[in-house]
Order: sequence, then structure tokens, then C-alpha cells
Amino acid sequence: MNMTQLPIIKDIYGFLGPDLLVGVVGLLLVLIFVPLNSAFLVWVERKVAGHIQLRPGPMEVGPHGILQSLIDAVKLMCKEMITPDLADKPLFWMAPCIVVIPAIVCFVVIPFSPVMQIRELNVGILLIFAFSSISGLSIMMGGWASNNKYSLIGAVRAVAQSIAYEIPLLLSTMSVIIMSNSFKMSQIVSDQSTVWNFILQPVAAIIFIICSTAETNRAPFDLVEAESELVSGFHTEYTGMRDALFFMAEYTAMFIASSMAVVLFFGGWHGPFFSGIVWFVLKAYFLVFVTVWIRWTFPRLRFDQLMNFAWKVLIPISLLNLLVTAIVIKVL
Amino acid sequence: MTMKTIDDININERLYQLNLGPQHPSTHGVLHFLLTLDGEVVVKAEMLIGYTHRGHEKMAENRIYEQFYPNSARMDYLSGMIFNTGYCEAVEKLCGIEVPKRARYIRVITSELNRVASHLLGVMDFVMGIGAYTPFLYGWDDREIILDLLETITGSRLTYNYSRFGGVRVDIDQTFCDSARRFIDRMRERFKLYNDLITGNIIFIKRTVGVGVISKDVALDYGVTGPTLRGSGVNYDVRKSEPYSSYEDFNFEIPTKEEGDCMARYLVRLAEIEQSLRIIEQAMNNLPDGPIRADVPCFITPPAGDCYHSFESARGAVGYYIVSDGTRIPYRLKVRAPSFSNLFVMSKIIPGHFVADLVAIFGSIDVTVPEIDR
Amino acid sequence: MLTEGQKKLLEELKNNLAKSVPEAKISQSDYVLTGYHLEFSSSKVGMRRVAKEMRSRRFNLETVTAVDFIDSFEIVYLYFNYNQDNIRVMVRIRVPKDEPPFTVSAVYSEAIWLEREVYDFFGIQFKEHPDLRRILNPDDADYFPLLKNFGKTTITGEIDDMLC
Repeated sequence: MNMTQLPIIKDIYGFLGPDLLVGVVGLLLVLIFVPLNSAFLVWVERKVAGHIQLRPGPMEVGPHGILQSLIDAVKLMCKEMITPDLADKPLFWMAPCIVVIPAIVCFVVIPFSPVMQIRELNVGILLIFAFSSISGLSIMMGGWASNNKYSLIGAVRAVAQSIAYEIPLLLSTMSVIIMSNSFKMSQIVSDQSTVWNFILQPVAAIIFIICSTAETNRAPFDLVEAESELVSGFHTEYTGMRDALFFMAEYTAMFIASSMAVVLFFGGWHGPFFSGIVWFVLKAYFLVFVTVWIRWTFPRLRFDQLMNFAWKVLIPISLLNLLVTAIVIKVL
Repeated sequence: MTMKTIDDININERLYQLNLGPQHPSTHGVLHFLLTLDGEVVVKAEMLIGYTHRGHEKMAENRIYEQFYPNSARMDYLSGMIFNTGYCEAVEKLCGIEVPKRARYIRVITSELNRVASHLLGVMDFVMGIGAYTPFLYGWDDREIILDLLETITGSRLTYNYSRFGGVRVDIDQTFCDSARRFIDRMRERFKLYNDLITGNIIFIKRTVGVGVISKDVALDYGVTGPTLRGSGVNYDVRKSEPYSSYEDFNFEIPTKEEGDCMARYLVRLAEIEQSLRIIEQAMNNLPDGPIRADVPCFITPPAGDCYHSFESARGAVGYYIVSDGTRIPYRLKVRAPSFSNLFVMSKIIPGHFVADLVAIFGSIDVTVPEIDR
Repeated sequence: MLTEGQKKLLEELKNNLAKSVPEAKISQSDYVLTGYHLEFSSSKVGMRRVAKEMRSRRFNLETVTAVDFIDSFEIVYLYFNYNQDNIRVMVRIRVPKDEPPFTVSAVYSEAIWLEREVYDFFGIQFKEHPDLRRILNPDDADYFPLLKNFGKTTITGEIDDMLC
């Protein structure tokens, strides 16, 4: 192979070469980041919950309990993975695996900084929403395969809630897409260099944050795993590392949702000085902190109230917002 | 109204049964709900009790009267002081013993402190069942102060053996009164915190207003007493209608609400905490001097006959029915537990609600399962 | 120290109860010593009539219990009213061991569970009770704990063997 043949190689095998290298390295970094992020977020949740409840939270393991999550992960790996006798074994085995894969894949298109984005897709936003809908499938699988009435009720509630809250989520995102005229995530972030979308579209921002809380099954929309009623919902029967995978998926999805909110509404990687990944990460974790704060402050909505809120309140408001945005864009 | 057993229901394919089983994170206490559900709506609810039956009434027939002191507090462990005092008062009624005034006032102070602690726990457990985990810990923070306070004079934190026939065991002193006054001031400031955090919260309002309505007729038909009854519009409180232990000396009100839903019962309990604080203040301000125990023989021998003493615990009207045959051992001792009837009314009001509402209603009625099972 | 209203109510109750069950013995008792104002003793006839009478006068059933005297049972109903003039009425009936009374659960719904408890502990099978089952003891128990001659049975023997 000499140098004259390299462009031909790039034409024929377009995706090999530098793009493949970036992809592989990026995915490896993501795979390292996801478990560490979940461990960190578990620790954050326990500390924030503790301080809100006038107690210190984990303090024993490591300084201020920071190694607690790692030790918990080790404990969970040592636990026996029990499979109920009458459970549907293939589905039971597959559900935790499938729930964590979409969360990891969504990292591919998020622009962490002007140069750090694993793959630039023309329809980046669509990919993220498509993959987060797949988690609903895995929840249903987990709930059905457990052969447990509690799990089934929890899974059914989860699917209904997920479908209902996706619509206002997409509608509020559409307002931003109309403004930026593109589905590309990097384009949307670049358009916020002067003023963040949060100022231009406050209603859409609030709706997006509410719906992303509901999509990730966090309080006050956590009826799916309401400990007071259904023991643990669809992951009642899962023990050991399988349960840990569900938790990992939930915290990763929370981080993804916060990242999406940052990208769409809060300026992405823009900052007053040294714009880059540091600002992105700071903003994303701040939104995660707000989510945790909300969980430990509010009680839980009942299921019919939750559905009413989605269908009767959020969808009309987000449609109205979309209409107003479209009119304003056309007029101005 | 006749209740069918669970076998009589025509269980077609739509209905399915769910056990909100004896072990469950939200039924505080070992209580078994056998629910017949249609989707998410409860069609029939049956309560299976008896998991913590220990046979207190049979134990009473094999012990002398003094040996029953510990048993009395362990039936409703959250109002242990009130049950303990009530048992002593029942036997004193049977024997005709007159308790000195200082002892009566001390009994009132400790009983009302116990009532505040029990209401704090009951209200916060109810709120936790709805999903707010944080107020639970704030309420327990306040409750810790009461438990520490009562530990200084009785030695125990939950199941007290403080009252004796004829009075109380240990006198209270000035440090106790000062600490109690500091607690009353602190508690009065905390009400604002609870109202901001819970009562005004729109989600809480939506979960509790109009949910689990017990109408006045249903409540009286099922023998409901206590804050559950007062939330349905009947202002019946044993402390006012049949004053015992010098409650007639104190100036307090009975909070009542008309609606009969979960929010009404919650507000009644919060208001009762304030009234209990008033009673404690008045009792401490007017505490007379004197002996703390009447002169009672070492082993008491009541005359033959029977006696029924009724008093108000945190959950409702309790009754001790003692039949004595003139010996040192009771012939029959029956405890009328308020949670027994309060729980039974749930089977009437639950059908038609969601499963999530069942947890809310159960928390708002505030039963203690060991008191039902005895 | 009864008030006027209480005295009037007591008189009315005495007359009406005597009319509904003529062979009963109705007497006033010392409230301070016994905790109830009126005592009504009879045989088993007429418990439902008494319950209906009390219900019409807006009394409520506080509790139902039983006492085991060796050759007979004494079943006790305690009525109470929630009004200003509160009166407690103790209704007790002395029945032989094999002649249970009728249930009052048609009049007072809470008696469904209260009478189940009496059956569970004494073995008194109230007639026409809609749902007479064990409530606090295990469902397969073959003993009645609060009887004075409660002793060793098959099930208690098994439990003892398991525990010791």
C-alpha cells in the first residue's frame, strides 16, 4: 500500500481509519466512565439525602464515606444471583443487560466539548430518544419474567408512564430544534454561544426537566418502584449484580437526561471563560443534584394523577409552546 | 350488610388477588391485606390479623395484678405510658383507692408527652407512606427529645413501667420541668416547618383530600374512636366526656374536622399535638406538692366484682374490663383496643380506591398492630 | 353526681329495656366504683331486641366480651353514647355452655369482628353470624385459649414439641 492508494481506501472503507479509532477509544472511555459515574452518583444521593434529613450519611468507609459505593459494588458482586423457579429464564437473564445498553449508547452523540464528541450524527437527538425508549422494553421484560404480581404491576405502570411522558419531552425538544433548524447536537450548542436557550424557551426547559424526571422514574414520579407500595416494583426479584445493573442504568439515564438538558437549554459546553468539558460536566452534575434534591423533598404522585398530569396538562402546554415558537420564528 | 368470605367471590379472569403481605415496607406492623384487584382498583379488602398475638389476656389470668404492669405497656407500645397509667387507674377504681393530686398531675404530664410522641410518629409514618421521606426524620428528631426526657424519670424509652397502684414510682424535679418547657417552645416553632413542608404541598393535597372518606354514620356504626372519629365530625374524647386523673382541671379543646378524609385526620392529629402541649404547660405551672403515691398494700387484693375503665390513648378510646374474684389474681382482664375497630372500618371504605390510596388511608388511620392482636 | 339529663335518660332506658325484655334485672350501679351507670342482667333471650333499642337511642357498642365461669358463660356487651349526657350501660347475659346467643352484627357492624374474637377465644358460636372464623389464633387451631379448662390438645402438643 502506498500513499496514493490511501484516499481510495478511505472512499471504499469510509468508516475505518480515524473514525473507527475515535469510536473505539471513545466507547472504552464511556465504558470506564459509566460504572464510576453510577458509583459516584449513588454516593451523592446518599449524602444529599442524609444532609437534607439532618444526618451525615455514609461516613465510615473512606473520608466522608466516598468509598462506600465501591465497597457496595463489591458486596453486590459477591451476592448470590437468585432466579425464581417459575420465572421466564431467558427474559429474566436478558432484562438487566438490555436496560443498560441504551444508556451507554446514548453517550456516543453527546457533545462534551467542541472537539469531544464520539460521533457526529445528523439526527443525534433522535438517536438519544430512540434508545431511551428501549429501556421501557427491558423494564417490561423484567417485570413479566419475574413471575411476581408486584413486578408486573410495576412494569405496567412504568410502560404507561414512559409512553405518556415521552410526548411532551419530544414536543419541548422540537421547539429548540425549530429554533436551531437542525437535529445536530453540536449545532444546537453552537447556537447558544450568545444566549442560552433556557432564557429564550423557559416553558420548554421546565417541561423538559419535568418529563426527563418522569422518564427516568425519579420522584415525584417514582410510582414504578415505590418502596412503600410495591416493595421494589419490577426489580423486586433481582438480586446481586443484576439489581446493580438496574441501578447503574437508572443513574446513567439520569446523567444522560441532565446532559441533554444542558445541551438543549443550558448552553452545553459554553462558559464565561475556558469553555469546554469542565463547564459541561459542572452543569450536568448540578442538574443531577437538583434532581436528587427534588426526590427527597416531595411526596409521590398517585398513578392516575401522574397520567392526568402528562396527558391533560403537559401535552397542551408543550403544543402551545411549539405553536408560539413557530409563529415567532416565522414572524421575526 | 353481610360480608362474604373470600371463597364466595366469583373470581373471574379480570380480578386477581394480591397479598399486601405480612412483611411489607409500608404496613408498619405485621398486617396482612388480602386484596382483590381489578387492574389498580381494589374491589375487596380483607385484613388478616393475629400474627403478633401473644396472649396478654391469658397471661393476666396467671399473674398477680402487679405482674401485669409490663404487659400493659407492650400492647400499644407507642402509647405505652398511657396504657400503663390506664391499667393502674382501672385497678384503683376497682379497689376504691384515691390517688394524691401530685401523682395525678404527673400522670397527666407524662401521658401527654407520650401522646405527642405517638402522634409525631403516626403522622410521619403516614407521610412516608405517601412518599415524602424527609419529614419522617424531622418528626423523629423531635420525638427523640421526648424519649430522652421520659428516660430520665422512667428508665425506658418506649415501654414504660412508671405508674404504680396509688400513684407513680419516681418524682419529677425541676430539671425535668425545664427541659419539658424548652421542648414545648421548640415544638411550637416546628409546626411552621411541618406546615410549609407537608401541609401546603400540592402533591400531598392531591393525595389526601377526598381520599378514604369515613362518613359519620359509618364511623359510629363501626365503633371508630380517637382522631379517626374526630376527623369525621364527632367531637368525642374520653378526656372531656368522662374526665379521669384530674383532666377536668385543664383547659383544652378537642380539634374536630368535618370532611372525614385523610387530610382531615392528619390535621386533627397535628392540632392535637398543640392541645397536648397546652395541657403539659398548665399541669407544670400548677403542679401541687404532696406525696406521689397513696398507701397501698404490697400485693393488692381487690374486692369481688367488675369494673370498666375507659381512657383516651393516641389511637382512640381504650377500655380495661377487670373481673375480680377477691384474690390477688384477676379472674378476667379484657382490653378494648381502639385499633381493632379502627382497622375493621377499612374493609368498608377501601373498595373503589387505588392500591396507592390504600397505603395512604392505612397510614392516616394510624393503627398499631400489636394492640389489635394483643 | 349525675346531671339532670343523665337521670332522665337513665329512667327512660330502664323503662324501655324492661319493656323489651321483661325478665331482665335492671339496676343502677355506682359509676365511680364500676365505671358504668346501668346494669342489665338476663338470660340469652332478647339480645337483638336490646341492641335495636340501644341503636334507636343512638348508643354505640363499645365492646363485646365473655367471661368463663366454670359451668356457664357470661357474655358482656357494653353500650355507650357520645352525647352530652353520657351513660354507660353494661348488658350481661349468663348462658349455659352449649346455648349461644344470637349475633348483634345485623345492628352494629363492628360486632362482626368483636364476636369473632369471642368465638376464637371461648368457642361461643353466635347464631346467624355472617362470618364466624378464627381471627387472632391460627386458622387450624383446635383449642379455645381463654377457657378455664384450657389444656393440652393435639395442636398445642405439636407446638410444644416444636419449641422444646
